[in-house]
Amino acid sequence: MSTAELTPPEAARWADRAGLPLPADRHADVAAVANHIHSVVAVLRELDFGDTPPAAAYRAGEEEHGAAV
Amino acid sequence: MRPFELSLTAVAAAIRARDLSPVELVDSVLDRVERVEPLLDAYVAIAAEQARRAAREAENELAAGRDRGPLHGIPMGLKDLIDVAGTATTASSRVRAEHRAEADSTVAARLRAAGAVLVGKTHTHEFAYGLTTPQTHNAWDRDRVAGGSSGGSAVAVAAGAATFALGTDSGGSIRVPAALNGVVGLKPTYGLVPRHGVTSLSWSLDHVGPITRTVEDAALVLSALAGHDPRDPASLPAPVQDYRPRPGALGGLRVGVPRNYYFEHVDPEVETAVRRAVDELENLGARLVEVEIPMARYVQATQWGLMAPEATAYHERTLRALPDRYEADVRVLLEAAELMPAGDYLRAQRARTLMRQEWARMLAEVDLIAAPTVPATAVPADQQTITWPDGAVEGVTDAYVRLSAPANITGVPSLSVPVGHDRAGMPIGMQLLGRPFGEATLLRVGHAYERSAPVRALAPVV
Repeated sequence: MSTAELTPPEAARWADRAGLPLPADRHADVAAVANHIHSVVAVLRELDFGDTPPAAAYRAGEEEHGAAV
Repeated sequence: MRPFELSLTAVAAAIRARDLSPVELVDSVLDRVERVEPLLDAYVAIAAEQARRAAREAENELAAGRDRGPLHGIPMGLKDLIDVAGTATTASSRVRAEHRAEADSTVAARLRAAGAVLVGKTHTHEFAYGLTTPQTHNAWDRDRVAGGSSGGSAVAVAAGAATFALGTDSGGSIRVPAALNGVVGLKPTYGLVPRHGVTSLSWSLDHVGPITRTVEDAALVLSALAGHDPRDPASLPAPVQDYRPRPGALGGLRVGVPRNYYFEHVDPEVETAVRRAVDELENLGARLVEVEIPMARYVQATQWGLMAPEATAYHERTLRALPDRYEADVRVLLEAAELMPAGDYLRAQRARTLMRQEWARMLAEVDLIAAPTVPATAVPADQQTITWPDGAVEGVTDAYVRLSAPANITGVPSLSVPVGHDRAGMPIGMQLLGRPFGEATLLRVGHAYERSAPVRALAPVV
């Protein structure tokens, strides 16, 4: 296990901070899946994003414009 | 042929020729449902009486000269994430046990206005968060997965238990079950079909689209679904058009054939069938051009970085109030993504910006891309992993998402078309990916391929 991985008690504490207290019998399963997701998404840290903005965006006034269509 | 065996295009023509009435068609499909549903479990709920009533109304309207178009009187299934006024949208979950939709979703309202007849609501992998739909059986082999998450819709269409159906697709959930059951599935361009009234898995990845017997059928359904609705913030004011493909050669069209990603870790029988279909496109006049899929290394990370936190956000309240009502596989994913930092999500959104730009550059060089829909056919229901010839082991879900996810991340349209079967008799799908709002091109190419291939039969349901 790498040092970046969460132990079951750490996963429980993180979940608690997120407002999701977990029963003790879920700590190990949640830690395992959280560590898996982390290992998948961590690959994105290789990318140099420069000034690239996130794709999520909105157009001010869009809804009024749309409603009039 | 019996009415339930016919394509939407064929029954629409038969109804207009007065060779078939909506009542005969709906009765035929309901009889078929009664026969195959105990074997397949495609439906959450069946509305037989309402369907018969709607069929009689359609028949009366048509007799009075009020023709609502090709969907008038046609029996359909809707994935049970799609709101229909007065009925439950269960999302195939006990979490929604007391649910009742107050109003039609935009797509249900548009299909109702087009005269389509609701047979029932079809099973989804719980809340669309999975690729197998464990409640439902594959239409070609009951012991294999239906695919998901729109498993019920694809199985119903493949088995003749609906003339067409709608699914949703956030990482392949229309195209995967369509490919695994030998039917056509279309994930439209992000924003073309409004999602108002459709339960979300992941707002920035969700799409609604048709699952049909033929490409032409998909075009007919898309024509009824597309069009702006301001109640979906992603909905775009695209021009409304008739998507019905015109027959003709494919001369001049450039078809991109990926040299990386889409043919890696792909079952040899799937690869052979797809490459044969690509060669057929060349025979039809298309020019094949090798393309390099950009940022392939980052597809899975971007998909998960978007989907996991968005899904967890959607379920924030119910995960705290009713955690025991979720199935184990969905519950643990929702819980685990509570632990993801916001930075992971933003990195995925920034990666998506780069990926969209790179895909736009690639799609400037070709008119469409042809590739396998899924790297393997339907696996036995109890199989968890796939072992590739080089020894690599991949989870079944990861494998089924892998080739679908790029179209969800970038929003480009993708059409899955059946291109044959493996030696075990399981269907194989080819995916055609196009430019944003390039549905007409995909449908034209898919239709041309379909006309050149042997006529496909319904699933035998064994």
